[in-house]
Amino acid sequence: NDLCNSVVGGNFEEVCPEKVIRFKPPLYKQRYEFVRDLVDRHEPKKIADLGCGDTKLLKLLKIYPCIQLLVGVDINEEKLHSNGHHLSPYLGEFVKPRDLDLTIILYHGSVVERDSRLLGFDLITCIELIEHLDSDDLARFPEVVFGYLSPAMVVISTPNSEFNPLFPTVALRDADHKFEWSRMEFQTWASQVAKCYNYCVEFTGVGTPPAGAEHVGYCTQIGVFTKIGGKAAGSCVSEDHDQHVYKAVYMTSYPSLQQEKVLKFVLVGELLIQVEHLRLRHHRMLRERKRESDPKPRDTDFSLGPDLLLGAVFTEAEKARIENSPEPFCEGDKFCVPLQRLLAYPKLHRLRVDEERMRALIADSVCLSSDSSAVMVDLYNSLDYWPEDS
Amino acid sequence: MSGRARTRARGMLRGSRALEVRGSPGYLAATSVDLGNSEVSLSSRTDSVWQPSDEHDAASGDGEHTLMERRVRIRQDLMDLGICTRERLAHVKDCKTGSSGLPVKLVTNLFSLDLPQDWQLYQYHVVYSPDLPSKRLRTALLYGHSELSDRTKAFDGAILFLSQKLDQKVTELTSETQRGETVRMTVTLTNKLVSSSPVCIQFFNIIFKKILKKLSMYQIGRNFYKPSEPVEIPQYKLSVWPGFAVSVSHFESKLLFGADVSYKVLRNETVLEFMTDLCVRTDTSCFPQTCETQLVGLIVLTRYNNKTYRIDDIDWSVKPTHTFQKRDGSEITYTDYYKQQYDITLSDLNQPVLVSLLKRKRNASMEPQAVHLIPELCFLTGLTSQATSDFHLMKAVAEETRLSPLGRQQRLARLADDIQRNQVARFELETWGLHFGSQMSLTGRVVPSEKLIMQDHICQPASAADWSKDIRACKVLSSQSLTTWLILCSSRAENRIEGFLSCLRRVGSTMGFNVGYPKIIKVQENPASFLRAIQQHVDPDVQLVMCILPSNQKNYYDSIKKYLNLDCPVPSQCVLTRTLNKQGMMMSVATKIAMQMTCKLGGELWTVEIPLKSLMVVGISICKDALSKDTLVVGFVASVNPRITRWFSRCILQRTTAEVADCLKVFLTGALNKWYKLNHDLPARIIVYRDGVGDGQLKAVVDYEVPQLLSSVAESSSDSSSCRLSVVVVRKRCTPRFFVETSKTVQNPPLGTVVDSEATRPAWYDFYLISQTTSQGTVSPTYYNVIYDDNVLKPDHMQRLTFKLCHLYYNWQGLISIPAPCQYAHKLTFLVAQSIHKEPSLELANHLFYL
Repeated sequence: NDLCNSVVGGNFEEVCPEKVIRFKPPLYKQRYEFVRDLVDRHEPKKIADLGCGDTKLLKLLKIYPCIQLLVGVDINEEKLHSNGHHLSPYLGEFVKPRDLDLTIILYHGSVVERDSRLLGFDLITCIELIEHLDSDDLARFPEVVFGYLSPAMVVISTPNSEFNPLFPTVALRDADHKFEWSRMEFQTWASQVAKCYNYCVEFTGVGTPPAGAEHVGYCTQIGVFTKIGGKAAGSCVSEDHDQHVYKAVYMTSYPSLQQEKVLKFVLVGELLIQVEHLRLRHHRMLRERKRESDPKPRDTDFSLGPDLLLGAVFTEAEKARIENSPEPFCEGDKFCVPLQRLLAYPKLHRLRVDEERMRALIADSVCLSSDSSAVMVDLYNSLDYWPEDS
Repeated sequence: MSGRARTRARGMLRGSRALEVRGSPGYLAATSVDLGNSEVSLSSRTDSVWQPSDEHDAASGDGEHTLMERRVRIRQDLMDLGICTRERLAHVKDCKTGSSGLPVKLVTNLFSLDLPQDWQLYQYHVVYSPDLPSKRLRTALLYGHSELSDRTKAFDGAILFLSQKLDQKVTELTSETQRGETVRMTVTLTNKLVSSSPVCIQFFNIIFKKILKKLSMYQIGRNFYKPSEPVEIPQYKLSVWPGFAVSVSHFESKLLFGADVSYKVLRNETVLEFMTDLCVRTDTSCFPQTCETQLVGLIVLTRYNNKTYRIDDIDWSVKPTHTFQKRDGSEITYTDYYKQQYDITLSDLNQPVLVSLLKRKRNASMEPQAVHLIPELCFLTGLTSQATSDFHLMKAVAEETRLSPLGRQQRLARLADDIQRNQVARFELETWGLHFGSQMSLTGRVVPSEKLIMQDHICQPASAADWSKDIRACKVLSSQSLTTWLILCSSRAENRIEGFLSCLRRVGSTMGFNVGYPKIIKVQENPASFLRAIQQHVDPDVQLVMCILPSNQKNYYDSIKKYLNLDCPVPSQCVLTRTLNKQGMMMSVATKIAMQMTCKLGGELWTVEIPLKSLMVVGISICKDALSKDTLVVGFVASVNPRITRWFSRCILQRTTAEVADCLKVFLTGALNKWYKLNHDLPARIIVYRDGVGDGQLKAVVDYEVPQLLSSVAESSSDSSSCRLSVVVVRKRCTPRFFVETSKTVQNPPLGTVVDSEATRPAWYDFYLISQTTSQGTVSPTYYNVIYDDNVLKPDHMQRLTFKLCHLYYNWQGLISIPAPCQYAHKLTFLVAQSIHKEPSLELANHLFYL
């Protein structure tokens, strides 16, 4: 497994058949994991991955609810073409949409060219990128990424050449690598860049060396650059003219609750599930009352063995919110649930819709009581079946 | 720049595992495709046991390459195409087309795929020395070699396809790994394939799969759906995705790409929500069991990785807080795993886990892998049987999904446009020498309409789709008087009975069906009291029992049918109270019921002119029993008089996995005996229509079922008389659709349209017939494949006879989509499979008791 995983990572360093240094999880995954941890901690809104290649990192990042714009840049256009569709929203993301909008764009272009559409980002990642740049490009790179794009945070990873002697053959890890730096070389370069563009930089890495070889340091060295004084993107964007040198190869937008149509679909869906659940419980109570011909108090309802109790468990605050809202009631053969009650349940509460808006959104999909304060359904449904009857 | 993927291995394309999880185990087996792992498509990935699907874990199982077979396994429906039945039928060897009827110009949903004249695909086998376990590494080394780097190629780790031949039959290549190790690759030519070969067809299908993915469509099962254009039906918690079923296949003279619009229904409800509601409905004691019966077999979609799985079991002992072993050996709880991997927080820590068994793609004999799924993260797909019986819901779905011919044509045009305009798609096709051409038109024929023969009247219906008005005043061919019969009803329905009876008697007298006054028995509203009353009151003199049922709950119907078809064979008629409440509809309701009752008592309603004087037609249908899935129900219905109005039926339950009938010899012999008894001779001709033949089963039908029928014919025939047999396979599902293009719009073709060229298959004696109408939507043609034919009828006659037989189904006053004997057989198997689960009493064999 490790063998092929490592190839996916793009480098052959772990592929050697004998005396392999195996990383668990594979090194490429550790690098991605590192970025994910960073995203978890800092919750950036806009992220760009330079040298995104087969877009694997973008695919991992798209799950984060905080991200609203995800951009990948690479000079290999074919690769962007053939991988773009992997980033389109899944079927399930239409059924259960995100909270916030998300747009993913892939650009074809070089990282040493300036494109104003990458201005104002919260995080720019350059994973195993710089070692592929020739000396001219490497010289221009800091000016573009740090000077021009100037994101709040930059992550740069690159091989640590001090680790290489641990591999059976001593060579560059990839035929396309223009150089591989020692820790000192990388840190010198990075510190200069940071100083020049007003960033502070911290060094770390992934791929812990085997016991006894700790002195060589991580297999992959990483520099995390943070802009001093935080993000000052606003001024940059307004100053610059639109400069579009990259070619947009692929773009997709995700459905989210920020879109009215999506919100309506989710709201009506959750509402119906809640109403049906309450109706069934009411039914159940009536049946049990009838069966025992001994009216039970409402709140005891019914109980299952603890191991079979299903459904989300409410917190004390949620319980209080629900109990303080008006109760469901019956009107003839209709079962009514007040909108306020529905909004108290966590799954509807989280949609952050007030009663008025809710009424407007659900009006043409569900039946409301005469004063429009409650959802009204038939107490008995011709399709009701109670498995125990048969 | 893209330093992270140095290898040129395009084969790393991440595939969708949805492919591995399909509707039913049978379907799974039917579509396992080795070629599917080639570079152009879906690299197979496997999960280790108990690991919830891990999107980011790339893995090719250890030693996978050793399982790779040298030969490409062919999809089952493509295997059918290899069964060349036509070459054995001398009379259609040169020409299988008819000539009667009016020509009609038709547009199809087929598009031409053009190839250079001398196009060939070269299949190579690649051996590595030293052997390499990783498919990715194999691919990388092979693709990186200068000999191959500029060629158009597809590789699955062992089989290599090239569009251009290599110079040598055996080519030795050497590559060096990054570590300097030399690997020798021996590339041996194993096959030159022409475009019509099954391997090529499968190869083309994979190319199109890849193209549709590039068009941002998702594969579920075999079809592709566009998630960006969902149709939402919020009031039913449903969303419907439009998509396409596509296939490339070799038709009569050329390679064609077929596309049909398809829809996928997704429910905005998680399995957990479903279970929670079920939990409220059910007693604690039987909840787990009820849950399993309701959920096992359903297909679920997991949002986080876009896969579909079939629920095979529920494991109540495992909770989200339990741990499982990851592939790297570390233990993690389900909650932590989903948090880490997908940033999902589970809200219910008490839910059980669903178990889905993944069939091994490469080796069916290996134990399937079990995957655990969290109910909260699984969405239900498709509709439950409960939902499909909800009229309003189905209407809402139909409104969104039923496409007019014009709408369908527009969708097709857009798909074709997308394929032609998309740069990547075009490149993919061009690189293999394929050219996506225009939509195909062809000429069909509309065969003459039929006249209905009633007792003393021959009528030409205004429309063959519905002749209820035309025959309203006509007498049926024959009927038995109904003198002794029972009506069972609850007190709630009682007040409806008199009105209904008077209608029934009125329509009965017009059609020549004498209805006497029944004995009315009041019963309580539960299945048991209905059954008790039947047991109490049915005696040998009773001709028919009518039950007015308070609801369409299955247990009423099942218990009544079971008793009256097995224990005490008496024709029965069930009517819903609701039906009798339809004011203003009473006369048409009564007419329909009167006709059914006439048939159940052995009457005959109408016929059409049958030029063949001594012809027996047979319908065979097969389906799975609803209770035990490994039991097959085989239904057999044969006409026993020359005017094809009386029917003999048999039905058997057969324990087997292969959907092939075992008992046909006995059935046909029984039918021939019956014919002999009634007509004092054997029929000169027998034509069997076999329905329900699945993909890949054609060979079994040819090799196994036809001989059974032949042996019965041989044994029954004497020197003086022998009968000749034809066997026709009937399929309601087929790729082609046909439209008539008028100046303004696109319409369904007229009734009786026959297509027997271009969209047909060269190896078969086959034709399409449109014998039903649809008020909304697009009509689908029925496909007929004559696999055996001693009768040597001209194609014209075979086609017209088939059309005539579509007029003879007595439960519908109009044309139906398949020949009546097939529909009768289908009705019979449905009744047995759904309700009675046993062979019905032989005493009923001469009546249409199953209507």
